Amino acid sequence: MSAREKIFAAIRKARPERATPAEIGAQAQACSEAMKRTLPALDQDDLAALFTARASSEKVGASVERVATLADLPPAVARYVASNNLAPDFALQPDPRLKNLAWGELSPGAPLRADSALAVGIALCGVAETGSLVFHSSPEAPTLYDFLPLHHLVALDAKSLVLRLENYAAFAQRLAIPRNVNLVTGASGTTDIEGVLARGAHGPGRLHIVIFD
Amino acid sequence: MTAPAQDFHTRVEKALRDPQLKIALERTTGNARRKRAAAVAAWPDFEAARAAACAIKDHAIEHMATYLEMFENNARASGAQVHWARDAGEASRIVIDLCKASGAKVVTRSKSMLGEEIGLPHALAEAGLRRVETDLAEHIIQLAGETPSHIIWPAAHRTREDVAKLFDQYHHEKPEGHDVVSMVASARKELRADFFTAEVGISGANFLVAETGAICTITNEGNAELTTTPPRVHIVTAGIEKIVASTEHALQLTRLLVRSATGADLTQYTTFHCGPKRAGDRDGPEEFHIVLVDHGRTRMLAEMPEMLRCLRCGACLNHCVVYRAIGGHAYGGAYPGPMGSVLTPVFDGLEQSRDLPAACTLNGQCKQVCPVDIPLPTLLRHWRARSFRAGHEPKAVSLAITIWAFFAARPRLYRMAQAAALPALRLFAKGGWISSLPLGSGWTATRDFPKPPRQSFLAAIRKGATR
Repeated sequence: MSAREKIFAAIRKARPERATPAEIGAQAQACSEAMKRTLPALDQDDLAALFTARASSEKVGASVERVATLADLPPAVARYVASNNLAPDFALQPDPRLKNLAWGELSPGAPLRADSALAVGIALCGVAETGSLVFHSSPEAPTLYDFLPLHHLVALDAKSLVLRLENYAAFAQRLAIPRNVNLVTGASGTTDIEGVLARGAHGPGRLHIVIFD
Repeated sequence: MTAPAQDFHTRVEKALRDPQLKIALERTTGNARRKRAAAVAAWPDFEAARAAACAIKDHAIEHMATYLEMFENNARASGAQVHWARDAGEASRIVIDLCKASGAKVVTRSKSMLGEEIGLPHALAEAGLRRVETDLAEHIIQLAGETPSHIIWPAAHRTREDVAKLFDQYHHEKPEGHDVVSMVASARKELRADFFTAEVGISGANFLVAETGAICTITNEGNAELTTTPPRVHIVTAGIEKIVASTEHALQLTRLLVRSATGADLTQYTTFHCGPKRAGDRDGPEEFHIVLVDHGRTRMLAEMPEMLRCLRCGACLNHCVVYRAIGGHAYGGAYPGPMGSVLTPVFDGLEQSRDLPAACTLNGQCKQVCPVDIPLPTLLRHWRARSFRAGHEPKAVSLAITIWAFFAARPRLYRMAQAAALPALRLFAKGGWISSLPLGSGWTATRDFPKPPRQSFLAAIRKGATR
């Protein structure tokens, strides 16, 4: 018997499967529902406000600003670059929505490097409960854009916001499963020395989110 | 074998004599306890949530074969290669063979307790591979030549002053300052190049998601994604108990896992990995391997299934009075504290590790803070009883327990003996405490015994006394 067969034999001996797939599915559903009933109430009226409050809380530590439309992203990037004394060239996530913007004086053509100062990207959606950005990897959304730069500036469509993690899970079920799902909640950090939080471990040290309508 | 067989007592004595250790442990676990308490206070129905989390894990354990098969099929469909290992040796061999087949010289690793459990650091060294630990705490202990002393904060035994000394000595560029932020920046610089030279990146998994075939990692530094994305090969090692039904269940458990571990709502990076690089992808590994490890888990399914719920959050360590006094290294195994004292006998055998379940006050705090309500004190008592029945206890201990059992089974005799012993004990007390006891020096060498009251609790009730 192979290792696989031996392991399965041992599991089935201890836990023979007596339920049908439909029964197992119903039990799994009941488990999710029971958990949902325990969750603290959240204000659902303005997801962007809830997201902003969570993402910019001390625990998460991102900065958030709101603009009218995605066309306002380049000026927001220009302001961020100026206020942080960054060079005007940065790595742009190869998403067609971003490539087609009028970048003006800025140079979005820099390649992504191990020590890129700034990358600008766009999230698939956001989770208001936790202030998390969600990225699904694809040719238009390579994973490393979220991890290599020192500053990560991310555009987030207010219409893409979901209330809770469960709402994201339901949304994701309707999409193809990507190679990577990245839920990004604030800038990288570590508490590995004495439990004290320090920002900017191996990922971005700063996360700036631009919410557009 | 995860723990050296002998000398638990020697290690404990060494730990208790180390004042620096106490400072380091109290800084880390104290911070963790405060942050957890604040996070739990913000979730009024947290007790009900613990029960719900417990039900989610129990559901996956009840249907483990079905869900593992579903996971395997979905993972294979995504292009992942799935391997099965019955024990630690087999798991390590599979990983080493994969590394060798890929021609790797440098291997990056993001923190994985299962990797420690199966002895992967040692196996990689034996195979002549350069291992680069990329998690900050793992990096610190790799420089110090140590093993992890906590499952969330592997360097919990090191103060910031210790870390400053290590980084000054070993980093190519010394840190700009000895504050935590400067030292974190120094580690970032030191490890940057290795992320891109490694041919293989090894990670663990917090969850195996049956419905998608994805594995989930929960981290905060960004080192995990830099370990798993650039190298040509990504190898995941995970215990089979990490299986959950769905992405939704994984995220629901994450809520409790993270609050219990660090007090955050989510860590910075909750990442699902599903298969290798796809057509058109600009990054990602070309090969994606998942090594699923049994190593005693199918035995636990029969003997102590509750322990398979464990999410490895470390809350039981942070709240354990014994862990906080002796730290993780004294336990000797890959997993310290209450959860480690339950697990190490599974991996190493009870005879070798019978001291661990004995080193517990049974105060029950671990169970109270456990996000999946594992009855840790009950499981520890289970090991104690097994050890006694199997005759693993030293003769003196066995004899003492037998004598005590004789009296305990005869309440009148017990009360008479107690009434005689209490005044005698009080003769040794000074200022409310007894600092040395004949036949009890093992106890009083490192702590005082409280002066007992004049009469027993029962006797006091009988007399209607209030004190």
